[in-house]
Amino acid sequence: MTINTRRQTYLAEKQDHRKELKHVKIDESVIEKVDKLSLPQKRFYRQRAHSNPFSDHQLDYPISPDHMDWSKLYPHFIDSEKKELTKEVTIADIGCGYGGLMIDLSPAFPDKLILGMEIRVQVTNYVEDRIIALRTNHTKENGYQNINVLRGNAMKFLPNFFHKAQLEKIFFCFPDPHFKQRKHKARIVTSTLLSEYAYVLKEGGIIYTITDVLDLHNWMVTHLEGHPLFERLSEDWESQDKCVSIMRYATEEGKKVERNKGDKYVACFVRLPIPEII
Amino acid sequence: MLHPFQSVLLNRDGSLLFCVVKNEIKAFKRDGNAYVTCGEWVDDLDKTSLIQEKVVMEQKRQLTENAAKKLKTNDGESVPQPKKKAKVPKPGVGAPPVYQYIRNLGLSRNGKMLLGCTDSDKAAVIFDIDLDNDKNILKLIKRQPYPKRPNAITTSIDDKDLILADKFGDIYAMPIQNDVVSSINEEQAPISGHVSMLTDVNMVKDSEGKQYLISTDRDEHIRISHYPQTFIVDKWLFGHEEFVSTVCVPEWSDKLILSAGGDKYIFSWNWKAGTLLFKFDYSDLIEKFLTDDHLAPGRFQNEQGNIIEYSVSKIVTLKNLPYITFFVEATKILFVLKVDVDTGSLSFHQSLEFQDKIVSLASAQDANTLCISLDNRENQEADLIKLLSLEGDKFVEQMDTNSNLAKTIRSALESDPVANVELDEIYPLYNSLSMRKHGEHFS
Repeated sequence: MTINTRRQTYLAEKQDHRKELKHVKIDESVIEKVDKLSLPQKRFYRQRAHSNPFSDHQLDYPISPDHMDWSKLYPHFIDSEKKELTKEVTIADIGCGYGGLMIDLSPAFPDKLILGMEIRVQVTNYVEDRIIALRTNHTKENGYQNINVLRGNAMKFLPNFFHKAQLEKIFFCFPDPHFKQRKHKARIVTSTLLSEYAYVLKEGGIIYTITDVLDLHNWMVTHLEGHPLFERLSEDWESQDKCVSIMRYATEEGKKVERNKGDKYVACFVRLPIPEII
Repeated sequence: MLHPFQSVLLNRDGSLLFCVVKNEIKAFKRDGNAYVTCGEWVDDLDKTSLIQEKVVMEQKRQLTENAAKKLKTNDGESVPQPKKKAKVPKPGVGAPPVYQYIRNLGLSRNGKMLLGCTDSDKAAVIFDIDLDNDKNILKLIKRQPYPKRPNAITTSIDDKDLILADKFGDIYAMPIQNDVVSSINEEQAPISGHVSMLTDVNMVKDSEGKQYLISTDRDEHIRISHYPQTFIVDKWLFGHEEFVSTVCVPEWSDKLILSAGGDKYIFSWNWKAGTLLFKFDYSDLIEKFLTDDHLAPGRFQNEQGNIIEYSVSKIVTLKNLPYITFFVEATKILFVLKVDVDTGSLSFHQSLEFQDKIVSLASAQDANTLCISLDNRENQEADLIKLLSLEGDKFVEQMDTNSNLAKTIRSALESDPVANVELDEIYPLYNSLSMRKHGEHFS
């Protein structure tokens, strides 16, 4: 078998699993049917690193936050009487990539719902398969029930998913640097987009950024500091925060930079209260 | 043949009529039962010098970049940089035609300035309307180029700032009286932005006098932000399932706004509460007026070839009467709906069918008058513009005025080199085709 057909067979098999298990509440009854799932192998899901945020992708997004059915993503948190989710998503990892950050955040925030958003189809599939496998393999302790991933374009449709002031934390980990000056609007942090992030974040909520590109780090810091609704948090605060250390060492990119002994630049910002309206 | 008017505009009392043909604005003044020509302006900007400037700058940039790399000979001596004169690129055979549009005419709130955007240098043009000048009432006071193609303009409530939304998704506010800004993004950052093409922009004021900016985009969004604190987004109005093309702020309500676009509905909203009040389904009304123009483009068509796509171009209102008027792009029919001001519900009131397709629609708010421009391609003798006024509670054509106006227009355009064209030189009159999303990119 050539590599290509092996990849296709592998992906087809995973897709079947995904269809069957994606929105199922995984418990002992399911476990009897499926054997212990192996974690997905990243090499079968490779996709080029860049995606054009301006193009018309084939995307699914709700008409409004009220139209979003979260219960499919977090079946473990459904109240069996009311048939409703007991809580809403409060942590978002924008551009979650292969999902490393969420997988470490999950046990650190067991009572919070965490959502990853990723624009690349294959990478999203990988994260879904990874979460299915983790949920299946940790059925006893109900592990990884509080994380899930959506394929989407957060730059265009974030307010379609989240209500005003719904989020407590937003992560931007190793975003696409878009080096060329004419591509700067494609960056995930721009002064105009920050107003949207400020809308979905509650007062006191945190934006976390980390990158290995100094130029991008300076860009993000300049724009966030320039925005009237954000204020940078001190290095002291960073050293005390558990998310910062997870962010430094948990993501795939973070590990890669660590292996290559590269630099990692962190900056965190708190969402300020809305000033008096003039 | 005469080129149809792409865009028309009436001032509040209907005494002035502005029409756009290609890159020219014509102004007409009401005189009893007739209109007389009172001004014109042609956008004759030659783009080559602008392109030349850009090319020279790019060459300079490349030269400095190369100089930094220090080209050297094998002996280690530095090679002098070749200094060719920068050439302005010319479009080759088969390149898409370049259109020198003037689009989206508007008036300042006090009616003293005419605003427009040009496609040639992506500029906003602002005119003083000088009624004392007998020859030409249009006096250009400012021409401000922008980095991306402008798509919609309005002014702040106090008329001090020009607010402009571009196709790249950015919104700029600039004091009208200030000097022209040469490099916009460095000196003047956008005040707000969407990651989508902006289609319309408007302002509202609440009962306390606080201002809000409404912006609509191709991704179904209507966003309401505080103004001038545009970094505070107040809310989104969710409900559209296709692009939004027009948003309308009626004067007879302080909470209602109306919107439409690629959906088969006219939406009525309470913008203050953020609630959708009513969706008026016009699909049955429009059905028999749809033509082959409304078939989906070939590559998005099905095997039966019966996918139709249509969209509302514009909604306009009058000052005191709770009616809205709208038309669907490339149709011959104009609809009037009645609005229940308390509940926001919409009901059919009147429809008017014309001989030709409607290109553009405007209203004289204080004079209860509507104005449409018509696509005369199949019907050279027909009127290019029709005025409609309210009699009782129905709109009727102003027969006398229209025939007088038609004469004035013909004599004004007769010897005008801009307006006299061959059939294949007519600018695209219906532009919303490309706005519909077909989800072409899968990955």
